[in-house]
Amino acid sequence: MKPAPFEYEAPSSVEEALRLLADPAIETSLLAGGQSLVPALNMRLARPERLVDLGRIEGLDAIRDENGALCIGAMATKRSIERSALVAQKQPLLHEATGHIAHPQIRNRGTLGGSMAHADPAAEYPAVAVALDAEFRVIGPSGERRIAAADFFVTYLTTALAEDEILLEVTFPERPAGEGVGFAEICRRHGDFAMAGAAATARLEAGRYQDARIVLFGVDATPVRALSQEERLRGEVPSEALHAEVAAAIGAGLEEPPGDQHASPEFRRQLARTVSKRALEAAVARAAKA
Amino acid sequence: MAIEIPKNLDGLPTSQRRFVGRRVRRREDPALLTGRTEFLDDIKLPRMLHCAVLRSPFPRARIESLDVTAAEALPGVEAVVTGEDARRWSHPAASSPDGWGGHCLAGDEVRLVGEPVAAVAAQSRAAAEDALEAIEIEYEPLDPIVDPFEAMKPESPLVDEAKGTNKMLDRVFTWGDVDAAFDAAPHVFRESFRWNRVGANPTETFGAICEWDPMSLELTVRGSIQSASHFGLGRAAVFGLPSNKVNVIATPHGGSFGGRGGTRCTDVACLLSRKAEGRPVKWIEDRMEYLTAGGSQAWDRHYEVELAVDADAKVTGLRVKLVDDLGANGEPYGAICAAKPLAAFTGPYAIPVAAYDLKLVATNKLPSSPYRGMGPPPHFFVLEQMMDIAARSLAIDPAEFRRKNFIPKDAFPYTIPSGNEYDSGDYEQVLDRALELADYAGLRRQQAEARAAGRLFGVGVASAIEPGVFDWNAYAIVGLPGTGVPEGATVNIDILGMISVRVGFAMEGQGQYTLVSQLAADYFGCELEAVRVVPMDTQSAPPSFGPGGSRLGVAITGAVLGACEKIRGKMTRVVAGLMQTEPENIVFRDGKFGIPGVEGASMSVAEVAGTMLARSDLLPPDIDPRPEATHVWTAAGRTEPDAQGRAKSYLTAAQSVHVVAVEIDPETGQTEILRYAVVDDCGTRLNPVVVQGQLEGSVAQGIGAALYEEYVYDDDAQPLTTTYMDYLIPTVNEIPELLRDEVVTPSPFTPLGAKGCGEGAIHTTPAAVLCAINDALAPLGARAREVPATPNRVWNWIQEAGDGNQTPQGEGSNG
Repeated sequence: MKPAPFEYEAPSSVEEALRLLADPAIETSLLAGGQSLVPALNMRLARPERLVDLGRIEGLDAIRDENGALCIGAMATKRSIERSALVAQKQPLLHEATGHIAHPQIRNRGTLGGSMAHADPAAEYPAVAVALDAEFRVIGPSGERRIAAADFFVTYLTTALAEDEILLEVTFPERPAGEGVGFAEICRRHGDFAMAGAAATARLEAGRYQDARIVLFGVDATPVRALSQEERLRGEVPSEALHAEVAAAIGAGLEEPPGDQHASPEFRRQLARTVSKRALEAAVARAAKA
Repeated sequence: MAIEIPKNLDGLPTSQRRFVGRRVRRREDPALLTGRTEFLDDIKLPRMLHCAVLRSPFPRARIESLDVTAAEALPGVEAVVTGEDARRWSHPAASSPDGWGGHCLAGDEVRLVGEPVAAVAAQSRAAAEDALEAIEIEYEPLDPIVDPFEAMKPESPLVDEAKGTNKMLDRVFTWGDVDAAFDAAPHVFRESFRWNRVGANPTETFGAICEWDPMSLELTVRGSIQSASHFGLGRAAVFGLPSNKVNVIATPHGGSFGGRGGTRCTDVACLLSRKAEGRPVKWIEDRMEYLTAGGSQAWDRHYEVELAVDADAKVTGLRVKLVDDLGANGEPYGAICAAKPLAAFTGPYAIPVAAYDLKLVATNKLPSSPYRGMGPPPHFFVLEQMMDIAARSLAIDPAEFRRKNFIPKDAFPYTIPSGNEYDSGDYEQVLDRALELADYAGLRRQQAEARAAGRLFGVGVASAIEPGVFDWNAYAIVGLPGTGVPEGATVNIDILGMISVRVGFAMEGQGQYTLVSQLAADYFGCELEAVRVVPMDTQSAPPSFGPGGSRLGVAITGAVLGACEKIRGKMTRVVAGLMQTEPENIVFRDGKFGIPGVEGASMSVAEVAGTMLARSDLLPPDIDPRPEATHVWTAAGRTEPDAQGRAKSYLTAAQSVHVVAVEIDPETGQTEILRYAVVDDCGTRLNPVVVQGQLEGSVAQGIGAALYEEYVYDDDAQPLTTTYMDYLIPTVNEIPELLRDEVVTPSPFTPLGAKGCGEGAIHTTPAAVLCAINDALAPLGARAREVPATPNRVWNWIQEAGDGNQTPQGEGSNG
């Protein structure tokens, strides 16, 4: 289990990284935390001619508050996000979801940007980004651009990043006051990729849903936002029966959940119902009751 | 001179036993915990090359062409071998059943995904792997043989054309008048069960460094090898070498659990060394190789079982039909896992008659290997579910139904229908302790409350036998010849009284070196640190099989104590000579030889050893002056198998009762273990801390088999579980804390009364967890008949019960 030969570069600036990435003569992959890429290299499933390691570029791992929004550098590790008081305070959903990602050893190395750019459909971060309307700041040869989370995840392991672009930072807009968040996933074992999971947010006004959001993962090629059910919740009084109906509709509405040895498509549909309900219930329970 | 090995702890020549039977910390651990144990991959020999193996991507295909010239020309490549070399320089491997072995590299046809077809020795592993990509090979894929039932049909294609059938074995064993028992029974219960492939997953994969000396035609193999002597004999046969020209140096290994096969690629590395003019060649199996093509997989079973029960709720007969999918060949000896249940076929129960319809079937999957427990764990899974099915149908508490059917404590030694003899036990006491420890009555109250609230809460009570101290005769029905398995130790005392014990097995993690030290230290009255344990290569070691079949603790105890007794005998004569008395007057106790009642007539072991070595002129003339002795222990009274496979095989029968409480989430199918209580009786516990470790580890493996672990193949025989992301071994997060207690009925047949306990709880755990799951599902009418009981499966069973789709529960009537 040794990788095919490759060249290795560790630039110290984004500009240098971009220049290396732009060379059309050599097939290049960016290396972030390496928690998915390195195994793929060792199994010779990925065989780039050159690796450009982003780990030596200073400042790419910053976690900062920008006018209320939370900006997290692409190279921030999951462990640093998990341990950040700022993240816990400003983006509790992101904080909660991080604890569900794999194990501490992996969170020590794995990065936010790596997870986002890898875009595994069973990963937690892409769904959280969609649920929180995150924005992706990327840079390419012609400069920077911003991509909304809703547009970032294209399909299985594919994002809107162009081949010559680098993800710099993900911005999570400030959350409205009184919002509750919920997160639920069902795994075979603690720390495994989820068979199905859901992230939810909810706000109540006078005991009724003012708005809600439910985003599922592990049940399709990209995170799935339950738009019609979010609409349906607006103005309703939260109840067990309502949540069960919404969850059932979400399960039924999934186009074609994937099947594997851990979960059949039908079972995933069932789990989607369960995690939708649990995430939503958790969000409502935490939402301000004013 | 006759020697007498103590049958119990009080028989040791010490007034104050300090080590044996006490919780002694393992002497192996400091090096392990500080990373200083030298494993195979740490060894670097001069001029050593590294091997990589090209493996078949197809489960069944013809090799149309194979061209290695481009690979041979690459820089750093020193040798390339193919099936042609294997046919020129080696023979097919031994197998069980006999005749189902092959050459180490494929010939014209590949029979499983991962079968070696060529291999490269190069300056580095990376260079060797690069060279594999330069090998040009064309396959003509053939339809694979996947399903064992299809494979048994006459029209099925054959895994091995030369055999003329895919049935590696097809036999019915009948022990007693089984038909009459079933005809007479007012209750007969029938069910089908499925046990999916699981297997051993040691931390360290297999590895070997092979060195073929072209001048002396001697072969040296260093490797993480479980049974070095057996492995050496196998290599001698494969390469047509005299057995004294193969030397095996077993290195410490990171666990085994039965998964240390590795013969094929060891032989490949031997061929490479021969081709590279004797340079040592290292082969390290990587984890994907291990999972897809190593010693990783076992027990792929389809069962049909019948239980006859009389009007007094006594089980009067057991019929088991087993179709075991053994994969593409018999080289890893997986077949013995289907034979071993004979050693405990009727479990802890006094079932008078039984029958076993056994079909071993070849398919294009990885050959089945041994795995901890070696076959009885699935057998007890089905037997215990049958006991629960009967108890539920007869409205008897499952614990009481078991009590009613236990072999009574005054019936030992007890011969079971399949021929083996159980040494001792007190099963009711074990049951009582387990029920008390788990608060069984409290669990049943909790269950009633949970059920009233619509929750799925279940309690499982299961009991099983762990046969200990294997004998080859247990596997006669799958073609392995012979009776008797020797284990030897050489004890040597130096001129200052320091003790060395030479043994023939490598450190494997079960604390046997600690046990050897405990025995020698208590016997001679010295400190643990005064004892050094020295593993020897196969050409220097005393006769040894090593660990396996829960034997080594008992066997090495016999060997060490036997050697100690011989030294005592020799020293007694020396001391008698020096003290001018008869040997009968000399007493040895607490490390001193003396004459009772004679003040000052006392010599320490060190003094005697020093005298023997320094002043051999003072010794009686017929005495060998070395304070050294070798003893080879074998289990007494083992018998040749009869025509129905019946023999006294495994020497000991440990027993346990597990009580498990679970709750199932009906929405997600997830099973949560709420309580886990174990009481076991493995006779005298030579080192209780080691027994505890074995117990806890094997509960974890049992939970893995019950809920998580499964090797999956798709319909085209492609393996889908090739990494630990898909083969799910439970972690510390999934394993509950255990409640533990013990009962001790010493074995009358073994040194110090110990019973084999190395395989332990895996015999009982899958059965107990599934009993609990079935108990939880009972109100829904849903039934768990397959392991692992994954969330998806449990949810399916619940849905099927809701749809009324499950077949009716299996009580038949005798019309």
